[in-house]
This record gives sequence, C-alpha cells and structure tokens, in this order.
Amino acid sequence: MSEDLTRRGLFATVARGTALAALAGGAAFLVKKANGQVVWQVDASRCVNSRLGEVGVEACNLCTTECVVALSAVRAVNEYSRCGRCNICPAYFNIASAVNELGQPSEKLCPRDAIARRPIGKVDPEDPANNFYEYLIDEEKCDGCGKCVMKCKEPLGLGSITLRVRYDRCVNCNRCSISRACPQDALMQVPVGQALEPAEVKRPG
Amino acid sequence: MQYRHIQAIDGQGGVRGIAVDGGGELYAAGESEIRVFDAAGRLVRRWPTARPAQSVAVAGDGAVWAGQLGQIEIFDGAGRLVNTWRDDKLLRRVTAIGFTPDSVLAGDAFDRAIRRFDRTGRFLNNIGKDNPLEGLLIPNGVVDFGVDAQGTVYAANPGKHRVERYTPEGKLLGHIGRFDGIDPAGFTGCCNPTNVAIGDAIYTTEKAGPRVKAYDFAGSLLAVIASDLFDANCKNMSVAVDARGRVYVVDTVKAAILVFERVNV
Repeated sequence: MSEDLTRRGLFATVARGTALAALAGGAAFLVKKANGQVVWQVDASRCVNSRLGEVGVEACNLCTTECVVALSAVRAVNEYSRCGRCNICPAYFNIASAVNELGQPSEKLCPRDAIARRPIGKVDPEDPANNFYEYLIDEEKCDGCGKCVMKCKEPLGLGSITLRVRYDRCVNCNRCSISRACPQDALMQVPVGQALEPAEVKRPG
Repeated sequence: MQYRHIQAIDGQGGVRGIAVDGGGELYAAGESEIRVFDAAGRLVRRWPTARPAQSVAVAGDGAVWAGQLGQIEIFDGAGRLVNTWRDDKLLRRVTAIGFTPDSVLAGDAFDRAIRRFDRTGRFLNNIGKDNPLEGLLIPNGVVDFGVDAQGTVYAANPGKHRVERYTPEGKLLGHIGRFDGIDPAGFTGCCNPTNVAIGDAIYTTEKAGPRVKAYDFAGSLLAVIASDLFDANCKNMSVAVDARGRVYVVDTVKAAILVFERVNV
C-alpha cells in the first residue's frame, strides 16, 4: 500500500470516527440538556496543562489515570480557529528530539500517536517550511494525558489544544473521580446550558 | 564570544519595543507612551502617543517614530509631534520600524509583511510578501526586522526558523537559521526567532525558553548572550544594539530592559 493511500485511510478513519463521536456526543448532550442536568467540565484556566504561566513542568495526566471510563472521558481537542498550523508543531513533534534529514524533529510527542497532520493549501515539496498543516486528534486513540496540551500553550504555542470532557463518553458520575484527584480543582460541574457544547469545536471533515 | 549582564532598567510600565539612538539613549514603546532612558537607566523623558505604541525607532536625524494601530506618529527628539502617517490598510499593526538610506520600512503584523515607503510617506513596495505563503510566518503575531548600513533588510521569519535577507525592493537574498531543539545554534519551538536587531552581528531573541543570541552574517552562532535571566513566559522580546555593541533586550513579563556587554577574553 502506498504511503499516500495509508495517509488517506488514516484521515478517513479519523474523520469517520470523530464524526460519529460528535454525533453521539451531541445527541447525548441534547438529552442531558432537555433533562436540565449538570455535566462535568474542565476549566482550562485552572488545568495545569493549559493554565498560562505554568511552564517547565511535567504534564499532569490525572485525567487519564483517575477517570472510571476506559481510556478516560477526557480528550485533547484542537480548536482549529486558534491553531497556528505550524510546520514544527510542539504538540505534534517532540521538539527536543534529534533533527532528521527533513530538518524536523525525528520523534512525535504523543505516546499513543493520536495526532496526525496533513498539509493544507498549496504544498511546497522542496521546502516543508513553506507549508501549513492541519492537526487532527484521533479521539479513539487519545487518552487525555495532556502532553500535547502542555506543549501547545503559550508562550511555546498558541493554546489551541485543551482538555475537554467528551459527553458521549462521560458517564456523569455524581462525584467525578478526576475532580476528587485534581489538585487544581479544574473539573467542575456546570449546568448543561453553561457547558462547552461539543459543537463548539470544529471536527475534521 | 561572551557577554555579561550589566544592567536591568525598569521599563516603568509595559514595554513592547525598544530602540537606541546614536548617543546611547534608550527609547521604549509601551502602553500609550514613549519613554526615554539615559545610559545609566534613568527615565529622562516621556510623552504620550495617540494610540498604544507597538514599536519605536530613531532615525538618523533624531526623529522618533512610533508604530501603532493604523498609523505611525513621528516626533522630534523632545517628544513634539511632527507628523502622522495614517493608513488603515498598509499600517494595520506596526510592530517594527526601520530605515534604509532613502526609505522608511514598517512591519505590518496584520498583513505579515514589511511596507516600504519613501521619506514623504508614499508606498513603494512590500518586503516578505512575494512567496507561496504571501507573507512572513508569524504565529507569534509580530513582524520584526533590522537593517544594515547598506539597506539590506533582515526579517525574522519565526515559522520558518530563519532570519531572511531582503533587498529594500523586496528580493529575497538568502537566510540564516534552521530548526533545532537541541543545538543552540538552531532555533527551537514552533516559531523562533521572534525578534532581530542588526549591528556588528545579527542579534536574535526567542521565546519558550527565552534567550538572546548573536550570529555572524554567514549564520554561524557567535554567542548565546543569555538564556536564564528572563521570565520563562516571555515572548516577542524586542532587541536593540548600540554603537558600542551593547545589547538591550526586553523582559516582557517583568517589564524590564536587560543590558548586556561583550566581554573580552
């Protein structure tokens, strides 16, 4: 199979998966909304992975380890309108790894290889630095470990990636086990009407 | 080559851009004013700008140019307003100003380009715009550049991890710099260097982690001037160099200007 076909297949899978998840998440969210329920939400201004000013510290992965749901109901989400679409994305690459023959870091950052990228616009094959990229997070793989969130935030990046509770996965525990463990009190229960809607974040299509 | 930190000047408020004149006075643009410091770091003059100042430059005749949103204000050395260039299209957010022997250059971060005008304010050409990306790659939101005595323009292109050399007419002559997250000779992160100044060397600043470096004109690293003196959250640290080779760098978080001097070893 050619590399192009493999990549195309990957993006198709990511797109199908995220579209289905968005659909399911949206439906579940609307049911909760109709019932006047509350939902759990990550406050990005409290989460140590996304909170400004916290640099040079290890990413917190309590959302991964403490959630009662397999692989966690918290996922990294890239808000495309804020993404810089950089050639060297510190959330995609391990920028501390050795440089390869393309002049790029030789390692990816995500331990689960959940972030893929594709060039957008006119592609310059001679000089990768001339290209923009769209970064897609495969939520079937992401476990919300927060590594990419930590590397995306300012001043290193633009802060387009944050951790979000996915309402198609969250079982809405009375007392969220992540919230009990989170030292920053970043998990909070909010009325559905005040929650970040799943549809606020554009999914790759 | 080695440098030592000799002074930290209190910026007396937020500082976005700095410049040094031939007499060694330091000009800082920030909030809605220009502040002037003497060589000892004392605030000696300050005057308001009509809009928040994004950048400052001092011309050979002593005039002080303040880049703002939608305009450039031109003051005499005492702070009296002499002229205002307004242009809502070409000067949307002026984050750098420089001079060639016969023209004025303004970095418009909104359009990711450097505008070139004649001395009367007539637009001549863009610099850094004629490429597949139709501009400089600045996810950091600032266009910055320096100009050498011959008029060659050195523009930071942080998304490409380069400092690019242009003729005043906008022809790309070449570049220095490459990405490298390990070797200090390279530029790390998504987008560095963010700022550049030209003197007897090419001086650059980077964000995350913040550092200031000197390169020769062939692109070889001469010195990491400092890397551990700045707040880790600094970004878009304006840099200037005076006739004595002293290097001035803004700590944008502490609102201070750090001064470095070359050490003869």
